[in-house]
Amino acid sequence: MKKRITWDFLMARYPAFFPLILLVLSIAVNLFLQPNMFVRETLNSNMRVFLPLIILAVGQAIVLLGGGIDISVGGVVSIINTILATRVGLDGSSEKMWQFVLISLVAGALAGAINGFFIAYLRLQPIITTYATSFLYAGLALFILPNPGGGIPADIANLYRTSTPLGLPLAFYVIVILLLIWMYVSSTRYGKYLFAVGGKADAAYETAVPVTRVQFSIYVISGFMAALAGIAITMLSGSGNAEIGSSMTLNSITAVVIGGNAFSGGIGGVTGPVMGAVTLSLIQNIISFGHINTWWETLVKATIIVVALAAPGVINLIRRRRV
Amino acid sequence: MAKSLSARNIVKRYGGVVALSDGNLDVSTGEVVALIGANGSGKSTMSKVINGVVVLDGGQLLLDDKPAYFSSPQAAKNMGIATVFQELSLIPQMTVAENIWLTREPMTAFGTVNRILIKDKTEQLLSLFRGTYKTDLRPDDPVASLPPDEKQLIEILKAISFDPWMIILDEATASLDSRQVQRLFELIGAWKEADKAIVFISHRMEEIFSIADKYSVLRNGKTVGAGDMKDIDDKELVKLMIEKESVFSFSRADSKNGKKEKPVCLEVKDLRTDSLHGVSFSVHEGELVGIGGLRGQGQRDLLLSLFGDVPYSGTVNLFGNEIRLRHPREAMKLGMALVPGDRAREGLLYIRSILENLQLPSWAQYGFPLRIGKAKRDAEQAGASLNLKMAGLQEPVSSLSGGNAQKVVLGKWLMRKPKLLLLDDPTKGVDVGTKAEFYALLTQLCSEGKTILFYSSTDEELVGLCDRVLVVHDGLIRTELSGASLTKENLIGASLGVSNEGVR
Amino acid sequence: MKRFKISPPVAALFLAVVLFLLSGFLPNSYGSNVKVALSQATNIIRLAVFLGVIAAGQTLVIISGFEGIDLSAGSIVTLTAILTYVMVKGEDNVVLPALLVSLVVGAIIGMLNGIGVTFLKISPFVMTLGMSGVVTGAIIIINHGNVSGKVAPIMTRLIARPISQSIPIPGAIVIWLIFGVLMWLLLERTTFGKNLFAIGVNRVTAKLSGVNVTGMNLATYSLAGLLAGFGGFLVVGNTGVVLIQLGQPFLFPSIAAVAVGGTLLSGGKGSYWGSMAGAIVLTLITSLLTTMQMPDSVRRMVLGGTLLILISIYGRQQALRQ
Repeated sequence: MKKRITWDFLMARYPAFFPLILLVLSIAVNLFLQPNMFVRETLNSNMRVFLPLIILAVGQAIVLLGGGIDISVGGVVSIINTILATRVGLDGSSEKMWQFVLISLVAGALAGAINGFFIAYLRLQPIITTYATSFLYAGLALFILPNPGGGIPADIANLYRTSTPLGLPLAFYVIVILLLIWMYVSSTRYGKYLFAVGGKADAAYETAVPVTRVQFSIYVISGFMAALAGIAITMLSGSGNAEIGSSMTLNSITAVVIGGNAFSGGIGGVTGPVMGAVTLSLIQNIISFGHINTWWETLVKATIIVVALAAPGVINLIRRRRV
Repeated sequence: MAKSLSARNIVKRYGGVVALSDGNLDVSTGEVVALIGANGSGKSTMSKVINGVVVLDGGQLLLDDKPAYFSSPQAAKNMGIATVFQELSLIPQMTVAENIWLTREPMTAFGTVNRILIKDKTEQLLSLFRGTYKTDLRPDDPVASLPPDEKQLIEILKAISFDPWMIILDEATASLDSRQVQRLFELIGAWKEADKAIVFISHRMEEIFSIADKYSVLRNGKTVGAGDMKDIDDKELVKLMIEKESVFSFSRADSKNGKKEKPVCLEVKDLRTDSLHGVSFSVHEGELVGIGGLRGQGQRDLLLSLFGDVPYSGTVNLFGNEIRLRHPREAMKLGMALVPGDRAREGLLYIRSILENLQLPSWAQYGFPLRIGKAKRDAEQAGASLNLKMAGLQEPVSSLSGGNAQKVVLGKWLMRKPKLLLLDDPTKGVDVGTKAEFYALLTQLCSEGKTILFYSSTDEELVGLCDRVLVVHDGLIRTELSGASLTKENLIGASLGVSNEGVR
Repeated sequence: MKRFKISPPVAALFLAVVLFLLSGFLPNSYGSNVKVALSQATNIIRLAVFLGVIAAGQTLVIISGFEGIDLSAGSIVTLTAILTYVMVKGEDNVVLPALLVSLVVGAIIGMLNGIGVTFLKISPFVMTLGMSGVVTGAIIIINHGNVSGKVAPIMTRLIARPISQSIPIPGAIVIWLIFGVLMWLLLERTTFGKNLFAIGVNRVTAKLSGVNVTGMNLATYSLAGLLAGFGGFLVVGNTGVVLIQLGQPFLFPSIAAVAVGGTLLSGGKGSYWGSMAGAIVLTLITSLLTTMQMPDSVRRMVLGGTLLILISIYGRQQALRQ
């Protein structure tokens, strides 16, 4: 009797396959609409805009792998942005900036730890818990900076905008480093724990995997990555706005779903979601270039997101009908 | 590494249900102890207490006569105790190698998992069962793609991979074929020589007598007997397992007369599902037909597909009309009823009231707005006729004991006066007194003209109650036993199937 | 989950009373003037009506289990409010058609949510969140520039004003009471209600007992959308104006209200009375914060923190080790 080589088997082994196709497609369309896409200036400009979402998607990907979800990431991004914009300010010094970058990373991890505490130790549902903290964090951001303003020193923002070591955008290096880190982590014991807890938590528990600690850790990682994304977006925009993160949450989830990670956990990786984040950003680019009526833009973008979220379900439905 | 483990007077409760009230066990290295008991006797709970998965509420565990406390599965593992579970503890999306070595992966100097070493060590383990695999089993295969028996073998390999001094096999042979069981027994023999201790939990007499040195019997949460296997025979063991000599002391009398002249109620031709490979049989009105065989051979699928919950191919005729049910609702309308195999997960709404559980399929007949008063009266009547012991209809069904909860599951269907009853192991986890009530009830229903098709994992039930028994093995009906041929020995023989060529 | 001796709706009402009494100590409050206190209390309840109606749909989807939630409720409220506003243009006789349109539009959006959740197996949170983006996009299209419209007098008369001279109870509260009774009938005295609780507890048992789980799911989300549409109709009848963010402030509190009211977020247990009491509590909290002149940021933090505390008490899942 042959083992069943099914779609599930393929998707489990090579989860980044589908998002790769999507990525190539969106690059093609984008190239068509914007022929100078790969010119250094344009590439750099695009990549640095995409970077915050890419970083966020990496964090969200890990949470989803571990069987959870983090709705509060947008709120953390906003908090970091408002902290940097107010504490460092347009006339802040470089040292202060880096000081607060460090503080931000700690703050992000702390925000994640709060989520992790409620979810892993008090055993609350991830969705509703992170929904509650998303409100808490968004409110905090608004409290820190009630009106858009403040900013970061111009020369640091410029650093982010114009850095092209060896001719490649700074963002590129960040992505590569993140992927390398993931390659390492996924081959450690912790990486296996991640897949185990996300795949079937009770089986993992019976196998003496430290499930609670793993579940706690994924939220700390997510909070940390959200802080990193917040730093990136602050460097991009150069100013503060408490609502800056609010749309990023849904985008990060969509990017991870496009990227092939299963919503229930245990399947996928980080490469796929990175591709998914780029794809989603390219699609939004395409819409902006496509000269659609401004009024229609929001609707079109939102519909794309729903379609992207629905796609795995539709594919599954078609497969099941055929069987 | 220790030399002996003792469990003394173990108590364990799940909510309001007492799973163990006085569990005892003594195991030492170099021997195989069989832990025996009927369904619901507390066998599984005992093993879960020993390996730290659940907390004990009372009693003591002793390692080498010194008190021991297992705070988690990790703690038990550190003490060198490995368990092979009934419900697999494998992660479906991960590979065979990853599953076996989870938490104990061989590492490289960089802190990553040593892929080559893992592959080698896995191949080594896989070779222990070489020749008994049905597929080409490799370390890189995702567990989800394996058939159930190979999953069970991986589970066993996982347990021995860290060289424990004590191995608990909890119904580990349930999904294995005879060749694999044979090889497993050879391995157990080797383990004994290597001075390991083995606890063998099973309900199969033949296996127990073939492999065990000592026995310990659980009944309704209490240990009622222990000793050497050579001092006891199977009849006495069975006697220890059940309270009375035979629960089937009521006579089936002439209930069989005239059965075959009654019209055919259910006719099944070439029924196929994922686990059934072409089943055909027919049942006459008023018959009490049993389905036998070891668990997991397709019996559950059979009942579920007849009830409309599982898609199938083939023909099913009900009272002469062909039917193709797509949903249990349609089955209900035709007068069918199903009591599912897992009461808590499939038969009851655990946190809702007894009233709501009893009336779940039947609210539509109470109009709009629902005539709750009448619903209560009908429910009370149903409860009374089943001798249901409850504090009140408004109480949550979780407050009932196993036997009474099962009465609710049965009651919700009997209230609708069904013509054909499908029962999946209805007396599982039910105390003996209630079992007797059920047997009387089922026989009574048949004499009233209702038809019953029921699966039981307890051989005595099938022998004592049924007119006929269809024994299912590997997705096919191997034998039909009735009348004089319906004996326990024949049942067991047929359950194990004929020779196994490893071809489906 | 701890077992309370008092039923959660009663506990919530008790909490509301305590909060209200405490608020008497604040400056600008009723002090010891009973008449003013009563009128303020009535006002709070009247404000709570709109949150309460919007929480009704939320109650249904949460009871239906499987992590059910409706994050599109806020945007549905805004959309139907705008549609009503534009349709009615101050004419009394267009009110009924406008109400119907609100209900139907809400139901359609709800149905789309239901399809995504049931057939495409998308998590309700993500599906309704995505849908809310689409609805907002539609609102922008309809609303670009400004919309012109007007609420009909009959709506204001029924909703914002008292019933009659002798009974100083605002029409909105009466509507809510009738609504509450209807919701109770739906949940406790219809097959739909019984089935809803059943699928919230255990979908396998429900299916094996004949419940059409797929149909129930679709119906529940459609009904939730319809009820949100009704909410939008009421809200515009009360405020008389429309804003892009008209419905959004109701969303989070609607979920918190359901949780306060004792409906299990995991499904299978709860009541609308609880959500009504929860709506009053949440409205009290918001109004207290406004009286204390707290900015929106503090309001958000308090709400987020409140929900967090609530689920810590009510929402503990089973421990890994039993």
